[in-house]
Amino acid sequence: MLLSLVIFLPLLGVIAIALLRGMGASTVKGIALIISLLTFLISIGLYYGFDADIEGFQTTDLLRQKLNWVTDLGISYHVGIDGISLWLILLTTFLTPICVIAAWNSIEKGLSGFMMSLLALETGMLGVFCSLDLFLFFVFWESMLIPMYFLIGIWGGERRIYATIKFVLYTMAGSALMLVGILALYFQNDNSFDFVALTQSGPFEHSHLLFLAFFIAFAIKVPLFPFHTWLPDAHVEAPTVGSVILAGVLLKMGTYGIVRFCLPLFPEAAANATSWIIPLAVIGIIYGALVAMVQPDLKKLVAYSSVSHLGFVVLGLFSQSHAGIQGSVLQMINHGLSTGALFLLVGMIYERRHSRMIVDFGGLAKRMPVFATFFLIVTLSSIGLPGLNGFVGEFMILLGSFVKGAFSKWYVVFATTGVILAAVYMLWMFQRVMFGKLDSTNESLRDLNPREIVLLLPILVLIVWIGVYPSSFLNPMKMSVNEVVRKVDTTQNTPAVGQLKFNENSIESGQIIESENIFMTNEEAQIK
Amino acid sequence: MPTINWSLLMPELVIVSTLFIVLIFDMIDSLSKKVLGWITIVGAAIALWVSINMLLVGEVGTEFSGMFEIDGYSLFFNIIFLISTILVTLISLSYLGTDHKKQGPYYILILLATLGMMLMAAGNELIIVFLGLELMSLSLYVLAGYFRESPASSEAGMKYLLLGAFASAFFLYGIALIYGAVGTTSIPDIATKLNENSLSPLLLSGMFLLIVGFGFKVAIVPFHQWAPDVYEGAPTTIAAFISAGPKAAGFAAFMRIFLDALPDLEPQWNGIIILLAMITMTGGNIIAIAQTNIKRMLAYSSIAHAGYILIGLAAASNDGKASAMFYLLIYCVMNIAAFGAVILAKNADGESLLISDYAGLGFRKPLLGLFLTLMLLSLAGFPPTAGFVGKFYIFKSAVQAGYVWLVIIGAINTAISAFYYLRVVVKMYMNEPEEELEFNPYPSTLVLGLVVASIGVLLIGILPALLVSPIQNAVM
Repeated sequence: MLLSLVIFLPLLGVIAIALLRGMGASTVKGIALIISLLTFLISIGLYYGFDADIEGFQTTDLLRQKLNWVTDLGISYHVGIDGISLWLILLTTFLTPICVIAAWNSIEKGLSGFMMSLLALETGMLGVFCSLDLFLFFVFWESMLIPMYFLIGIWGGERRIYATIKFVLYTMAGSALMLVGILALYFQNDNSFDFVALTQSGPFEHSHLLFLAFFIAFAIKVPLFPFHTWLPDAHVEAPTVGSVILAGVLLKMGTYGIVRFCLPLFPEAAANATSWIIPLAVIGIIYGALVAMVQPDLKKLVAYSSVSHLGFVVLGLFSQSHAGIQGSVLQMINHGLSTGALFLLVGMIYERRHSRMIVDFGGLAKRMPVFATFFLIVTLSSIGLPGLNGFVGEFMILLGSFVKGAFSKWYVVFATTGVILAAVYMLWMFQRVMFGKLDSTNESLRDLNPREIVLLLPILVLIVWIGVYPSSFLNPMKMSVNEVVRKVDTTQNTPAVGQLKFNENSIESGQIIESENIFMTNEEAQIK
Repeated sequence: MPTINWSLLMPELVIVSTLFIVLIFDMIDSLSKKVLGWITIVGAAIALWVSINMLLVGEVGTEFSGMFEIDGYSLFFNIIFLISTILVTLISLSYLGTDHKKQGPYYILILLATLGMMLMAAGNELIIVFLGLELMSLSLYVLAGYFRESPASSEAGMKYLLLGAFASAFFLYGIALIYGAVGTTSIPDIATKLNENSLSPLLLSGMFLLIVGFGFKVAIVPFHQWAPDVYEGAPTTIAAFISAGPKAAGFAAFMRIFLDALPDLEPQWNGIIILLAMITMTGGNIIAIAQTNIKRMLAYSSIAHAGYILIGLAAASNDGKASAMFYLLIYCVMNIAAFGAVILAKNADGESLLISDYAGLGFRKPLLGLFLTLMLLSLAGFPPTAGFVGKFYIFKSAVQAGYVWLVIIGAINTAISAFYYLRVVVKMYMNEPEEELEFNPYPSTLVLGLVVASIGVLLIGILPALLVSPIQNAVM
């Protein structure tokens, strides 16, 4: 029940705004803020109701609901969460009120439509993370496109129409194939779309094609190189809030799909596909970083950095190791926080200066010390400075894929250069924007106002919290990640692919467990 | 003289009675002509209510020595036709305005066409199907050219007449050849005769001609050329009508004949249907992208939708049939509503037919923007609208029948179609208006029709079970 409340409360807000929008802008903003805050508070209840010792989906009535929907077609309304979706739900409900506050003064036309789109989008995203029925999943997956389409298309920048159409068509092309995959699974799942039943059946016929059908849809969303071309356009043209949601949550729907569907349902196909997915992920990491380095536009720079960061997440997921997958899930949260904050900061400076070009800035630290401080912390978090969140995720991903990944270790070595490149492009950008000579046009720029500080502070708290004490985030997801790894592992035991590598693995397996332990203690040592 | 169970024929009788009532009331000069429209609506609503009741009670049987088959299938199609008729009449009330002379025959022809459709769906005999087809088509030829003073409308009527007559000839010739091959025109008898006989060239050519005939009537590529011109020229309400009911009627007879009379020829016709489905979907959608006139865009979109429905026929199963019926119903509702929204966008100088006229409409006319957006999203197949469930159901039945490639092409087409549907939404919400247009106030009947359609599209989108269960019972 609680879960359905969280999912549909924002939709209630949409209806409330639609009915009461005649009462003026402040009412609309008030409703949006109250509803989104309420959703966040209730979603914290999910965390307290969550039992970290359960493998798989939570079973209590509070966190699991199943209703008949279209019985004749084997469709049910089935929602539930596990340790992976829990964090993504909290991330979504956490970022939405921040977005509402961020949009407080910056939306001039169609404010009610904007807030309605934002809240409808929240319902769509939450639904994606909670659905335990493939039909329901697809409904949320597709319906979330419409509010995003409006957010970019109506409130975006110059080339917003091109960007929004590109975004919708890319996603739809991918989901068209996924739809076929879902239908094909249906007939192998006793004529039912139920996901929990699905995880217990299998292996499936044509699992390689099914894997591809799902994977391409998710890869476009992630976006994995070479499906990333929609992302810079969408990010640059989207309004600030659109970029925050896009980077913060929407991209995670792709990686979530991989860890929820691709890996556990088609482990064998996933193991086979590793040989071409890992190179793509590594290319994405390096290519994204290199392209980010030469961007003259702040927003585009952050957008390309997303391509690079999400490459790490895919790498970790396909390392099919406990540390790698756990690190990837954590990195999804990290990226949502850090990149979300970066887009907010870029949005704030754009509101003041009406420019995002790096050359237009310089020496801002003198004029805007608070802004510079926030920007620095977020920049360092994005780079992966130890003690901040980015480090934990990236370290676990690299460790997991280096020790246990069923692919050449050189890939991990190349991927690691991505961390260095990240430091290059982020710090170089920071230096050009914050230090140096202050341009006369920038003399009058105001520092952050209390509203902006209020909306950035919670993000910073989490950035430090995850960096210092990641266990509070890692522990609840441990069992769920275990289950994914166990499903993936069953096929690794059958010598289907790359026998030589598996032998290596089994020799090392003793060490692997050890090294993971070492890692955990390292983390804890770090805290002390 | 066999006794006739008149209660089975209630829906048809109600329509015929309504027709006569309209005819009589039309002669009373002092009466507002709007009354005729309302009589039509009431009559169709009673027939609809009777049909739904018969479907729920399961009142089925054959009549007129087996020439007329009243079963769940035909009753469900009656529901589709009658809902289309009611919606079209609702949007016609304001469209025709208060011009006195013209309205009587208009509603009578709509009722006659509806009767023809009902005959087509219930016809258990090729001749009856042909009779229904002609009754429907002849009424529609007149309706398409109804605005005699408008050259475009006259052209549309003439074009429709010529090509339609051509198609009817194909159809009739097909019937003749099949009769020559098996010696009967009764649908169940053809099926049993086919079991005994081997394939003859005569039979196969008859089958091909039937496909061509139906292909014209339901506008399948490559027999679709008439559709855009007729839709563009005909009165918008009639374009809505032609795109909905008659297409459903064509498919009703198409599916009945091919699945009930010619199931043994499935290996022969199935490949053709699949090919037609592919080129119809792809052709319709790709040409729709290039359209600048919204009526022509909707025409090509309706061609593409015929392609999706063909997938259901190609699946050649009960599920396929059920999914096609489901799709036809919601397609009719959303298409009529989309045309209705086009009528609503009529400005002071006439209709805004160019897509570029819609710039900025979403903010200036929020209600209209909302209706049209909802219908276009449903046509594009976005959840949570009925259009999504319909496509999903059709794709599901085709995957079940093993046509995964066909479904992939269908799914990719859905993405293509999103492009041109969303382009209208882009115009409405994301572009600034090029010139200030004057708008008439909303006519209440038209808004009523759109509200009903919108509720239906959302309700079926969210609770598809309301419709899926009755349909599955109807085809069992």
